[in-house]
Amino acid sequence: MPLIEVSHLAKNFGSFNAVKDVSFHVNEGDVFGFLGPNGAGKSTTIRCLLSLIKPSAGNISFFGQSLSDHRSSVLSKVGCIIEKPDFYKYASAQRNLEIFGRISGKTIDRKQIEAMLEFVGLKGREKDKVAGFSHGMKQRLGIAQTLLHDPEIIILDEPTTGLDPQGIIDVRNLILRLRDEHKKTVLLSSHQLSEIEIIANRMVIINQGKTIVEGDVQALLEKQSLTLEVEVSNPEALHALFLAEFPSLKFEALYGNNFLIEMESDIRSRLIERMVSAGCGVRSMIPKRSLEDFFIKMVGA
Amino acid sequence: MLWKNTYNELLKIASKIRSYIGIGALTILVLIVIFAMKADGKTYLGFVTGSFEQTLSFNGNILNGNLIAFIIMQMLIVHVPLLIALVTGDLLSGESATGSIRMLATKPISRTGIVLSKWLAATLYTLIMTLWMGFLSLVVSQWIFGSGDLIVLNPDGLLIIPNSDLLWRFGFAMGLAFLALWTVATLSLAFSALAKNSVGPIVITMAVIILFTLIGTLDVTVFDEVKFYLFTTHMAAWRIVFEEPFPKQDILQSVGVLVGHIVGLLAFTLFYFNRKDITS
Repeated sequence: MPLIEVSHLAKNFGSFNAVKDVSFHVNEGDVFGFLGPNGAGKSTTIRCLLSLIKPSAGNISFFGQSLSDHRSSVLSKVGCIIEKPDFYKYASAQRNLEIFGRISGKTIDRKQIEAMLEFVGLKGREKDKVAGFSHGMKQRLGIAQTLLHDPEIIILDEPTTGLDPQGIIDVRNLILRLRDEHKKTVLLSSHQLSEIEIIANRMVIINQGKTIVEGDVQALLEKQSLTLEVEVSNPEALHALFLAEFPSLKFEALYGNNFLIEMESDIRSRLIERMVSAGCGVRSMIPKRSLEDFFIKMVGA
Repeated sequence: MLWKNTYNELLKIASKIRSYIGIGALTILVLIVIFAMKADGKTYLGFVTGSFEQTLSFNGNILNGNLIAFIIMQMLIVHVPLLIALVTGDLLSGESATGSIRMLATKPISRTGIVLSKWLAATLYTLIMTLWMGFLSLVVSQWIFGSGDLIVLNPDGLLIIPNSDLLWRFGFAMGLAFLALWTVATLSLAFSALAKNSVGPIVITMAVIILFTLIGTLDVTVFDEVKFYLFTTHMAAWRIVFEEPFPKQDILQSVGVLVGHIVGLLAFTLFYFNRKDITS
């Protein structure tokens, strides 16, 4: 049974259809990438998942229970960050966690709050008012708030927005720890496609309010044609080889002695063998089958 | 969950500087009135008793704590709504403005629970403000000016209420003043649910009070039918507690109108907030 199941979700704001038909499911233990270009309907979908926005049509269920019928019990098992965590600036980090812990559906004691502040690296700053926190510190406090009640599902909407490179790495490592050590299920919306490629095992791409593709990240990437960037010392030999032996492959000059080769099936071994024997002088061969390419192909950007 | 979040809301109110602005401003206003009365109260009293001095002779401590409390209540009932709205108008809109409403509304507490806990916290804040106003006006005034009979200038003439008959009247008056301020708090909470910044609900609440008060005071026939149903008409209902014979029916009507407003405004807030899409 999927932990989260969204079927034919739609949301209209007046005459504007922000989400038209979005469906996907998230299994237990998944790190699920939720992708789409700006304006695709990602934030609206996530807000529907968290009952901030009421859907116009479709169904959302968590743990096999309808969100609309079991809102409180569902949300007690979910932790989330929507865009940026906005805390009560006039209160301290500890007071903020006390406030949110008190209505999390579980009993949270002071020791748990202290342990969580230590976990996210805010020990020593617990009495400081949030007004004086940097964006990175607020993000870490947001993660503490998300994990405080030990939720089964964690929903993170753009958790790395505005973070410096070290902050992005910290969040990535934290998500991996949540998956590997704490066996959490994570739904992650991000524009950082390279991050999703590294940490997500399944994903959905939506565009213009509709699901475009959903599935296993690696399986989806392997389905697409493989592109190689090749650098050779003898481009004439490479040209001749392709004309004679690989006329069906797409072959495109890039810059200098670099070329792009696109193939429907993976024939890299044979290609390398023939390039070497034809005296092309292969210097490098880099596979270009990335999530970024796949994403651009899917959304038609 | 409702009580836990009500406790949270009280913590939030207690953590905000604006909550103390109301209490501080109230304290300063009362102290200014007490100081002014101490300095020149007899002249002020002369305006009230002057027209009666040919027919009546006033003996004893007329400028006493009870009279000062009565004067303070008349003056503050105009200003305290603003101080109440300053806090209660921010309860929902302030969370929308800062974005914390997103985090609050994704917790396992219902939207109804969120509104009711804020309303309960607003109620307690209003009660504290009313009690503080009562303490300052009655206890501090009695301490400085001493006790005595109360002279009240009513439309029917001059009424002298003995000191022994005053404590329950002031208690009753405070209860009615609380009901009026509670209506203002509920009104500003309703506007707070509609807005995404905290200035709007405060300004609109005051604009409504001013507009309704104007309609209530305009001597125009077309408004006569609606005047009774405006909550502002009953905001000074506490004053009729100091009339003789005791106007039980009028007080019950005022209580009915104010309670009706509170219930209606709360129902509207719950209805609206439960259907609201949180997009901020």
